[in-house]
Amino acid sequence: MSQARFLIRRSLQGLLVVWGVVTLVFLLRFITPGSPVDFVAPLDASPELRAQIAINLGLHQPIYVQYFDYLFGLLRGDMGFSYIRGRPASGIILSRLPATIELAVAATVVAIIFSIPLGVLSATRRHEPTDYAATTFSLVGISTPNFWLGIMLILIVSVGLGILPTSRRPIGLIPALEMLIFQLQISGIRTWITHMILPAVTLGTYFTAMIVRLTRSGMLDELGQPYVKAARAKGLPETLVTYKHALRNTMIPIITVLGLQLGSLIGGAVITEFVFNWPGLGTLVIEAIVVRDWPIIQGALIVIGIGFVVINIAVDALYTKLNPRVSYE
Amino acid sequence: MAKVGIVFVLTIMLMAMFAPFFAMHNPTQQQLDRAHQPPLGVTQTSEEFRFVDGERQIQEVTIQGTVEHPFGTDSLGRDLFSRVLFGARTSLMVGLFGTLFAVGTGVSIGLVAGYYGGRVDDSLMRFADIMLAFPALVLAIALVGLLGPLTVRIPDPFVAAGLVEGMPATFVFPITLTIVVGVVNWVWFARIARGEALSIRQEEYVKAARSVGASDWTILRQHILPNSLTPIIVLATIQVAAIILLESSLSFLGFSGTTLSWGFDIAQGRDYLGTSWWISSIPGLAIMFAVIGINLLGDWLRDALDPGLSGEGGV
Repeated sequence: MSQARFLIRRSLQGLLVVWGVVTLVFLLRFITPGSPVDFVAPLDASPELRAQIAINLGLHQPIYVQYFDYLFGLLRGDMGFSYIRGRPASGIILSRLPATIELAVAATVVAIIFSIPLGVLSATRRHEPTDYAATTFSLVGISTPNFWLGIMLILIVSVGLGILPTSRRPIGLIPALEMLIFQLQISGIRTWITHMILPAVTLGTYFTAMIVRLTRSGMLDELGQPYVKAARAKGLPETLVTYKHALRNTMIPIITVLGLQLGSLIGGAVITEFVFNWPGLGTLVIEAIVVRDWPIIQGALIVIGIGFVVINIAVDALYTKLNPRVSYE
Repeated sequence: MAKVGIVFVLTIMLMAMFAPFFAMHNPTQQQLDRAHQPPLGVTQTSEEFRFVDGERQIQEVTIQGTVEHPFGTDSLGRDLFSRVLFGARTSLMVGLFGTLFAVGTGVSIGLVAGYYGGRVDDSLMRFADIMLAFPALVLAIALVGLLGPLTVRIPDPFVAAGLVEGMPATFVFPITLTIVVGVVNWVWFARIARGEALSIRQEEYVKAARSVGASDWTILRQHILPNSLTPIIVLATIQVAAIILLESSLSFLGFSGTTLSWGFDIAQGRDYLGTSWWISSIPGLAIMFAVIGINLLGDWLRDALDPGLSGEGGV
């Protein structure tokens, strides 16, 4: 199967999954105890007022009418109006998206920069202090709740040493870049970076630890293979054997597992955002759940689901590209 | 390393089981005059406003950690050592029963899908795909946050038998939370069970059993289930660790319905990071200790039971 056909087929499957996600998220409101009116209406609201609010929110319609309304609204990019803020939910959700994407990308970059060299070192210096340090770090890393790690970083770095800010970043990446380009001011970018370090480390640590583990065990497998012996026998420098031959083959399982673990990256981002008061999708969802702001809850969950499906398709495509033994079947 | 894991896990289990015996205080009892006491060996100096002869003055106050509160006290003067002991109960109970729930649902669905194949398999696995499109933590936050925390009070057997006094008579078990952490994790077990059932149903002995008239139920229960047990046990062990982390996250957000949990205490301590660092730090160390133990045990089980099962899936 060609790559184009593979992508089309996976996209169609993805579309089906997204439709399922939308349906589940829609039904969520009907299995939740209590009516949305309880959260919107004043405590002493008269029955007439409550009925009027229900009509305004469209809750008086039968479920299937509400469902199709919602579905067709989504196709036009309409997610309804936030119960609390009275503005379109889609706008609020979109405005929160960049912060979450920036955090997730920064964490992934942190993880890749630190983990792969550490994993390789650990495998090539097996049973040496470096190896023990790396394996201990990775065990502790996958066993630490990331919200707690975030709080500890705030405690040590911000409260104790007083060097990095703790929360609520004042500027996003795009405005910071605009400042740099149009006003030649570096302060925006500097502020962005100082606010990004702690959250990115918090979210990235689990992945760093996991990739160290994978790289180490993968490299140990590969370094025992005949082709590595052959490469050494013909006198290739050890660095070349390690990084060019063995590491390249190790990347395949690493990418597979990373693809599977993207869910925990997004889940981790939600709670990391909460700890650092990060103006992203995660904080928005948690706040919306507490006040039962349904259009926001539904919209944000759907956006997260779509994002997850899209990234998974991308990882699959990348995977087949990296590993010629895997066909597009 | 496996031994270290076993020691860690046993320690936590003993702590949880016999919490009322080890605890020196009732973990829910507030003693405001003892609030913010540092752990044993730590001296805390802070400035406080005091009224001296009707005038407000700033005084330096030094508090030393005591044996009576080895882990210190929280903002309401509750003993953190006792809270860590009782918090182990919440984490372990949710970890254990949540995993059992996930194994039960996942394995049943997976076996049925793999054994019958065809349309049953297709629809069940499409549903699994939709579940997987939500990150587990996000789905769990949404479900627990929206359904509301349902809890039951389980009487403490030691208190009921009159063996200890001054301890909470009941243990608050978060039901919604336990079911939800099971619901968001069943898919992994379903996938494994399905794969095993798919390969095993082609085996000669299954065909033989069918030809002598064994029912589907008998074949599933007597032949397919026992043969797929190994990878399920390995995954279940690792899932207990993952679910404990999930539980602590949900408790941290305040969605669990119990106030005696490591995650809940970490959230409590967040407001006092500048003064009483131990309130958040110590329960987190307890989580780490438990999860490291279970992960070591899981690694060991994987190597011992199933050398062919590579990778780090599941966590």
